[in-house]
Amino acid sequence: MKRDGINKWIKPVALVGLIIILAILPLLFSSPYLLHVLILTFIYTVGAVSFRTITISGQFPLAHAAFMGIGAYTAAMASRYLSWPPWVTIPMGAIAAGIIGIVFGYPFARLRTLYYAMGSLFFGMAITYIVQSLKITGGYVGLTKIQPLFSSVSRVPYYYFFLVLALFCTVALYRFEFSRIGTNLKAIAQSYQLASSVGIDEARYRILVVAVGCFFVGLVGAAFAHYTPIVTPSTFDLSATLWLAMYVLIGGINSFAGPIIGTPILYFIPQYYFSNLRAYSPFIPAVILIIIAYLMPKGLAGLIFMLNSRYLDRLWFRMNGKGATHATENQ
Amino acid sequence: MEVLIQTLTNMLVLAAVYILVSLGFAFLFNMLGIFNVAHGSIYMAAGYLAYLFIGAIGLNQWIGLIIVVILFAGLGLFLEKFCFRPFIGDFNRQIMIGVAIIAILETSVNILIGSQMYIIPTFVEGTLAAGAYSIAWDRIVAFGLGGVLLAIVILFVNRSRWGQQMQAITQNIEGAALQGINIHRVSAIVSSLGCALAAIAGILMGSLYTLDPFMGDGTLVKILILIILAGVGSFKGVIYMGLLLGALYATLPLLIQGAASDAVAVVIILVILLIRPQGFFGHEVS
Amino acid sequence: MLLKISDLTKQFGGLTAVNKFDMQVNQGEIVGLIGPNGAGKSTIYNLITGVYPPNRGRVIFNGKDITRMKPHRVAGLGIGRTFQLNPLFPDFTVLQNVSASFHLHPHSSLFDIYFNTPTYRKNESIIREQSLKILRLVGLEKVKDDLAKNLPHGFQKMLGVARALATQPKLLLLDEPLGGMNPSEIEFSLNSIEKMRQQGTTIMIVEHNMQILDLCDRVIVISFGQKIYEGLPQEVRENKEVISAYFGGEHA
Repeated sequence: MKRDGINKWIKPVALVGLIIILAILPLLFSSPYLLHVLILTFIYTVGAVSFRTITISGQFPLAHAAFMGIGAYTAAMASRYLSWPPWVTIPMGAIAAGIIGIVFGYPFARLRTLYYAMGSLFFGMAITYIVQSLKITGGYVGLTKIQPLFSSVSRVPYYYFFLVLALFCTVALYRFEFSRIGTNLKAIAQSYQLASSVGIDEARYRILVVAVGCFFVGLVGAAFAHYTPIVTPSTFDLSATLWLAMYVLIGGINSFAGPIIGTPILYFIPQYYFSNLRAYSPFIPAVILIIIAYLMPKGLAGLIFMLNSRYLDRLWFRMNGKGATHATENQ
Repeated sequence: MEVLIQTLTNMLVLAAVYILVSLGFAFLFNMLGIFNVAHGSIYMAAGYLAYLFIGAIGLNQWIGLIIVVILFAGLGLFLEKFCFRPFIGDFNRQIMIGVAIIAILETSVNILIGSQMYIIPTFVEGTLAAGAYSIAWDRIVAFGLGGVLLAIVILFVNRSRWGQQMQAITQNIEGAALQGINIHRVSAIVSSLGCALAAIAGILMGSLYTLDPFMGDGTLVKILILIILAGVGSFKGVIYMGLLLGALYATLPLLIQGAASDAVAVVIILVILLIRPQGFFGHEVS
Repeated sequence: MLLKISDLTKQFGGLTAVNKFDMQVNQGEIVGLIGPNGAGKSTIYNLITGVYPPNRGRVIFNGKDITRMKPHRVAGLGIGRTFQLNPLFPDFTVLQNVSASFHLHPHSSLFDIYFNTPTYRKNESIIREQSLKILRLVGLEKVKDDLAKNLPHGFQKMLGVARALATQPKLLLLDEPLGGMNPSEIEFSLNSIEKMRQQGTTIMIVEHNMQILDLCDRVIVISFGQKIYEGLPQEVRENKEVISAYFGGEHA
């Protein structure tokens, strides 16, 4: 395709540009609230990306925020009761989430889509209720006295920590999806019978992807525990999982970049720019959801794909002295 | 013995509430495959609105009830036309619009009415004395009302023209359309009815127990539990399962305190789901 | 003897789909399994590959009892198959369909795959090369980047075969490979199947279409889950029972 020359460079350049902007941002803007919202955006982005990773295999992890909570509470309890340092508790939280993901996945991954989705929804509720009812997890009120990651008052070191952590998780999940592992998962999603017949152990792969997704969301959850002053069960309830799903759908579930686009739009923008609306602020994400649902069902990534095809085609042809002809990309 | 009577009463009332609210969800899901995540929030919003009319403004309970039910029946029509019908078959968009509706309803309730727990003033004062024991009248009336409504709904589904069309659509939507059934009209009626039932359930809950701002989410989970255990596609199953779950929710808190009883309930349900995912009365979803 | 099936029985509720079925397949043969609709042919395939277990009976492949083995392990032992319904990965391209089917040979470990080791990269390039070779063999290399769901029906069937070949099976189970094909596609398919046999694959074919008989060394006829005849192709054509099974009862 003639346009391949430009086309190939757009994505990497945009990506590097974004990373550079994020890296120098604290030097330009020092508002602690901005940094705080960005940190949460990084965390939720990893939550959304890992949510989407699990959906590649055709499963819907409606307990995903609960697994973030498992990571957070594991790290919080290890820190508060055992006084273990963050560089131990954070991996611990991730591993705990991964293991519980496997424990859950083992009996439930064999269920078909709807029942797996409902099963994970109920499982997430079970985790929420259990955490709310035990004294050791602080009940409804939550856990405090967790050792913070950095002794500084400023949020800047936290910002860079979470930026690097989010990049790490994103790259790790990218590799997972775009290797043969991802191909096998997509094969399983299309036809588990067919996948079996070529030798793919579809049960094992399904458990694997759940474990991986839970591991990474547990990882950011555990890190979150060392940032926030208090860990409460309401941060990780069903509503939180639904919003993670929304971040994915807004951006577009069919594209890896979807959740990375969706989280800033649906979380960061309302949270940072419209927080002064106070009680009215949830209307903003609701409106965004409505707009996307009616106008851009494939999510923003789908829109960008369409724009990419149509307008860049015309741009290319115009730039090269050829009149605008019919669109050449096949949709 | 006192405890037994109380528990029995609770069981029947809870069963009635959950059956009513779940039927509304089941109508849409079984018939059109619409997964209305906002159904719990509709239930909650109706309860709070009734509190506004009855508790805050001071209208008579029954008038308040009727007004809210009519308003929510209208909401059901609106939602069906603009939010459900366009998205039939597209699960992702249904969830998106559903979450948006949840956010709008919860925020509106928060702004207009408040985010505390309230109780709607009781509909019927006094208690019925039977020997040494007594049952509150409002619970008896609630259960009776629930029973009457249920009977009406059953008659509607089995005997009326609309009900039969509804069953036809549930079994085979294309076949039904080919037979000349106006799907849009039936789905509008059914959606309206479903929201009305949810409204009544919410008002009952708010009057007999309490309104809390999170009751929408919790009830959504209970609805899903009921539907899944009953089996997708079965309305009868909703009634039987509702009674069973009503018994469970009424008795479990006696044995285990607080949030732990919710945890145990959900774990029990998870085990059942593993053993028999397709539920007990419905057909299997592939 | 590559495959031996003895006393295979499967009941679904009250319905007996397969009843005390015996057969064997020898190395290098092409064996046809024919019979009217609903005779139980696909069920036999499912029993062989472990989609569900039989109520009675055994399946022995290459000396190994595979009766209750899971499908992916059966595939690992060297049995490949096509499917009548859902024969493809619809959202994959033609090339992806074939290369995804190379899961077993050459096999890369999860570690190799994830960390992009030289082993993995070498395997992937082998897979790509072999995939293109198979596509050339079945005549699909021109459409390699088209989505499988957009292919015309005959192409989809050939892709199904190509996909099954990618598993490099010792025994290939074809399920209605000629379904919905026009005469030139049928001729092409018959030639391709013969070529596969020459390259060392043992083949079993389930088919309605009697044209398959020309290709087979042996034919087994099944009706209502039971074997009613076994013999050479020309004998089968003339046998009265076979004819009445096809035309007296349900139609193909």
